[in-house]
Amino acid sequence: MEVINPRSALLSNYEVLALLRELESDHLAKTRTALRIKKEEEASGFPNKSHVVQEEVLQNLRTIEIEAIQYLSAIYQPTVNQTEAGLTQLTKSLASYDLTKAEKLQIVNLAPTEPVELYVIIEELEDRFGDKIDGMLSTVRSSLSEPAAEVLDGAGEGEAQPEQFVYSEDAYMEEQPWEPDENDVVFDDVGEGVGIEGDLDVDDD
Amino acid sequence: MFILSIIKDTVAVHPSHFGLPPQQAITNELNKKYANRVLHDVGLCMCVFDLAEVGEGKVRYGDGFLWYKVVFRLAVFRPFPSEVILAKVKSSDEDGIRLTLGFFDDVYVPRIFLPEPSAFDPNERAHFWVADPDSAISDLLDTPLTSRMYIDAGEVVRVRVEADEFYDDEPGPPKATEGVMANGQAKEREGRRASYTITCSIAEQGLGPVPWWKNAGMEVMDEEG
Repeated sequence: MEVINPRSALLSNYEVLALLRELESDHLAKTRTALRIKKEEEASGFPNKSHVVQEEVLQNLRTIEIEAIQYLSAIYQPTVNQTEAGLTQLTKSLASYDLTKAEKLQIVNLAPTEPVELYVIIEELEDRFGDKIDGMLSTVRSSLSEPAAEVLDGAGEGEAQPEQFVYSEDAYMEEQPWEPDENDVVFDDVGEGVGIEGDLDVDDD
Repeated sequence: MFILSIIKDTVAVHPSHFGLPPQQAITNELNKKYANRVLHDVGLCMCVFDLAEVGEGKVRYGDGFLWYKVVFRLAVFRPFPSEVILAKVKSSDEDGIRLTLGFFDDVYVPRIFLPEPSAFDPNERAHFWVADPDSAISDLLDTPLTSRMYIDAGEVVRVRVEADEFYDDEPGPPKATEGVMANGQAKEREGRRASYTITCSIAEQGLGPVPWWKNAGMEVMDEEG
């Protein structure tokens, strides 16, 4: 094994969630098919031993898949209200601000809707963007599919509910356009910020 | 919080998996090897993102496996220093707070990175912060309960990553004594450290339990910041 580049690109939480959900739905589909084949065989009365290869279940992968989906789709995460179209729009409009790559990634991941949250993410916010803060916040707000107030209410509970799993059909429909090979799924780094953290893609210190 | 790493490796595909499309079989092997494992100085591996290059499968003398040389991209959990993330409080003790992300538990907030002034309440087993800056550290435990802001277990906190550390505790060459003793394995476990830990901070405006800063306007920032 050889690590060629430990940090070749940054991924947003939404992208990771989409990737994991795709794996999850693949797995569910496979289990369902396997079950169906088994039932059909039992019904026909010819237990056929030499049929399709059974894919083994990858325990480690399943563990991290489920736990990470739970974390990423928890009620306190903005991913609940994010859509692919919304995020594309958001990264495009953020390009007009002079933000570093890391700052943009965090805006996408945390979707700050209050000034306090923005202060934490962006260094020297007031000096750099004194009058643009409201504009930035409204950009973020417009990228979320539902009113942000609901998310914050949920966060107040401080509880991550496992039932927050969105396994409905339409949730998967949204992810249909996801293609791992497309360039646009990698974090959009158009208009990378000047200097400060622009060297993130090289080795970490 | 997540990154893509490019990794080169050689994988063996067992003949029983020859029925699968090679791409699927290779991805499965890689996921089996990497998923949910910590790669030293890289991070916690999530899953294979995609395969970049796959060589021709070769059969070696001695086994029936097909060996592929693969270059692939891996989705890895590795928050960068100064990144802000959301986590849940797992437990608290005198030395600090332990946080969890669900899939990753070795996230710590040491005492020095707690908001000032704060103290540990041994009755509640939780740290609390006193928003009133006048009170001296010595009498924090005498403050009225109403003025304390507790960081309870299960609460969602916003934290800033300060540092991360990797430990490579490879078992050395087996010692003669250990081989004899039946409880050799139990002993080994004692000295084990987590191979990847993240140190976080909540000693800053806007960090800490999310509800603290809910609806906190700019006034708070101006007063205390």
